[in-house]
Amino acid sequence: MAIVAKQMSVEKVPVAGACPECGAHALKRYEALSAGGWYQVTKCQDCLASIERKPWKRLGYVDRSHVDVLLASYKAGRK
Amino acid sequence: MSGKIIAVDVGGTFTDVVAVENGRITTAKVATIPASSDKSVLAGARALGVSDASIFNLASTAGLNAVLTRRLPKVGFLITEGHRDVLDRGSLVRPLEAITDPTWRRNFGDAGGRPIVPRYLRRGIEERLTAKGEVFIPLNEAQARREIELLKRCNVQGVAICLLHAHRNDIHEQRLRDLVREILGDIPVSISSETSALVREFHRASTTVMDVLMKDIYGDYTKRLQTGLDEVGFAGEFNYADCSANLLPSDYAMQRPYQLLMGGPAGGAVSAAHFGGVIGDNNLLCADVGGTSTDISVIVDGVPWSAPTFELEHDLVVSATSINIVTLGAGGGSLVMATPAGDIATGPDSAGAEPGPACYGDGGKRPAVTDAALCIGILTPGGFLGGKKRLHPDLALKAFESLDTPLPLTQRIRYGWNMAVNNIAEGLLNISIGRGIDPRDFSLVACGAAGPMILPCLLDQFPIRRVIVPPYPGLFSALGLISTDRVYSDHRGRYMTLDAASAPILDRMYSAMEARLLEKVGADQPGLRVVRTFDARFLGQSWETPLIEAPPGPIDEAAVNAMIETFRNTYEKLNANRFDNLPVEAVTYRVQVILPAAKVTYPEAAAGATPEPIGETLLRHLYDQPTPAFEYDRESLGVGATIAGPAVIREEMSTTFVPAGRTAVIGGHREIIIE
Repeated sequence: MAIVAKQMSVEKVPVAGACPECGAHALKRYEALSAGGWYQVTKCQDCLASIERKPWKRLGYVDRSHVDVLLASYKAGRK
Repeated sequence: MSGKIIAVDVGGTFTDVVAVENGRITTAKVATIPASSDKSVLAGARALGVSDASIFNLASTAGLNAVLTRRLPKVGFLITEGHRDVLDRGSLVRPLEAITDPTWRRNFGDAGGRPIVPRYLRRGIEERLTAKGEVFIPLNEAQARREIELLKRCNVQGVAICLLHAHRNDIHEQRLRDLVREILGDIPVSISSETSALVREFHRASTTVMDVLMKDIYGDYTKRLQTGLDEVGFAGEFNYADCSANLLPSDYAMQRPYQLLMGGPAGGAVSAAHFGGVIGDNNLLCADVGGTSTDISVIVDGVPWSAPTFELEHDLVVSATSINIVTLGAGGGSLVMATPAGDIATGPDSAGAEPGPACYGDGGKRPAVTDAALCIGILTPGGFLGGKKRLHPDLALKAFESLDTPLPLTQRIRYGWNMAVNNIAEGLLNISIGRGIDPRDFSLVACGAAGPMILPCLLDQFPIRRVIVPPYPGLFSALGLISTDRVYSDHRGRYMTLDAASAPILDRMYSAMEARLLEKVGADQPGLRVVRTFDARFLGQSWETPLIEAPPGPIDEAAVNAMIETFRNTYEKLNANRFDNLPVEAVTYRVQVILPAAKVTYPEAAAGATPEPIGETLLRHLYDQPTPAFEYDRESLGVGATIAGPAVIREEMSTTFVPAGRTAVIGGHREIIIE
């Protein structure tokens, strides 16, 4: 049996208001990884105009990096 | 020359206006209104009596300024699906300043930057042509309609269309344009197969987008100008200058308005080439020194060096034959600064038009090159801009005193001035050596309002033959618009190895372009010339040698062999290699139909008496001791007059400085020759 990676998806949260570019009521907020890192974006789902874009967590959905794990382990060992 | 001709060159600070009637030149300068430069143009035209003029030539910067400041109309961009980021991708070459900068990144998608068309307005269309122009995936009209409807909801003011391989087959682009017109109505639309039917997708896309932007900007601009000219009773011929400062009738220019983007800077080069022909000096370096920058061009054997494309910013490319101009950040407004180490540097930051140099008294606190010239005594408080602007020496001195450096005042001023001269000398040397020319065989034409003041000082630093200050140096670019011809042009792109089999294809291509242009212009026009050129490379190269002359008449095997030979000769001259065994591949094919236009004449002047000084100025800070220098009025100097430096020659719109140890001689057409 083939091993298939667990599919990841992002929840797009509806945002009130109309798109200032095309007028559609289809604004949604979600996280996106692009050049420059992870961003939380609000985009019109009709014309894809970017309404808002602000930097999100540095590693996105990864809460702990290997470095964090190693550091925690090192600190635990010293106690 | 019959009738009055008016030429207008819109600069960042001033709009220069020149009128020529019966060989007599009259001039005017009006302040440029950046937000609506058409008002400055009309004010200048009225000042010199445009109502009875027969020709009105304009070099406009309205389009260029709109692009640089991104005050652009909202346009959509339709491209083959999967290629919507072609404008972001660009040429994939990093800019020079980013080569050693690991933090530099290309701004893809919504990631920032200053896109000409935001990503949501760049829409992919389902279709595909092969590289030979055959339909591989038919145009999906239903999907195309949905995308165009979306652009309609976004209220776009124009649409650019550039599909893959459309330069070989325009069937899908034509149909898309019909759909755009059907859904969006009568708005500007540019298709790449008409605008820039050349190979290379990115260049074609970038040029097509520029074209639709310029259609919107220049469409309204031209209407406002035409209305203004009509109101004052002008009934003559209205021409724009293109990137080579060739003249295009305004209605013809509106068919491909991207060609107008760089009309202004090219004027100085054309003017220098024309004036060089008049005085019999055809190898020139031309330096047009303005307030913020110096535009340098090279003229070899009477012809300005040209390039088939130009870049407005990094990866903002326009495919238009243009005069090759290198801009240095050095001008009369360049700021003199103290570095953290306490020494003096000049430019490239500029005081700009507002507040301007400190001596303007308009609020500027930092010293500029113009302040140095005033402190030295080359400029006088009451003689700037024909007496229209009073300068304040006390404010200039105060600005130099405010610099954070232990250097004494005299050295601050002298070093600031010398660094400005040095910056231009370094730029000229790089340009000369980089292009394989020996500056010792070239004369330097000093133009722009600040050119004659600064450039003669280069003679002590730069191995140039001599400096020539032409008549009306401050308005020399505007005179370039009365030193050129009317040119109608067309071009095609196709990769083709040059051999006997290519002859009939080339013949069809050249004769079709020629026929279309001659039908438009009229083949029986007096003095009409047809010039064919092509860009080519050795098979396997990724870059072309541009603008190689192609033979006139039918293209047969002998003509193709002549094209190959001309290419090899040109390549050898530029690169010192010939590669006789490598096949030659042609890429771009151009035709120009040239109609001679009325040009400015520089009549021979009469010999004059021994020049009489009109005053004396004391040059401070420049030499080890304060040194007296005679002042002369240029108008009173006759042919053969010889002036030993240091001296200052004044005229209404400019000041010429003859450094100590140099001699100025007035030439046969009132040019000042400094050696």
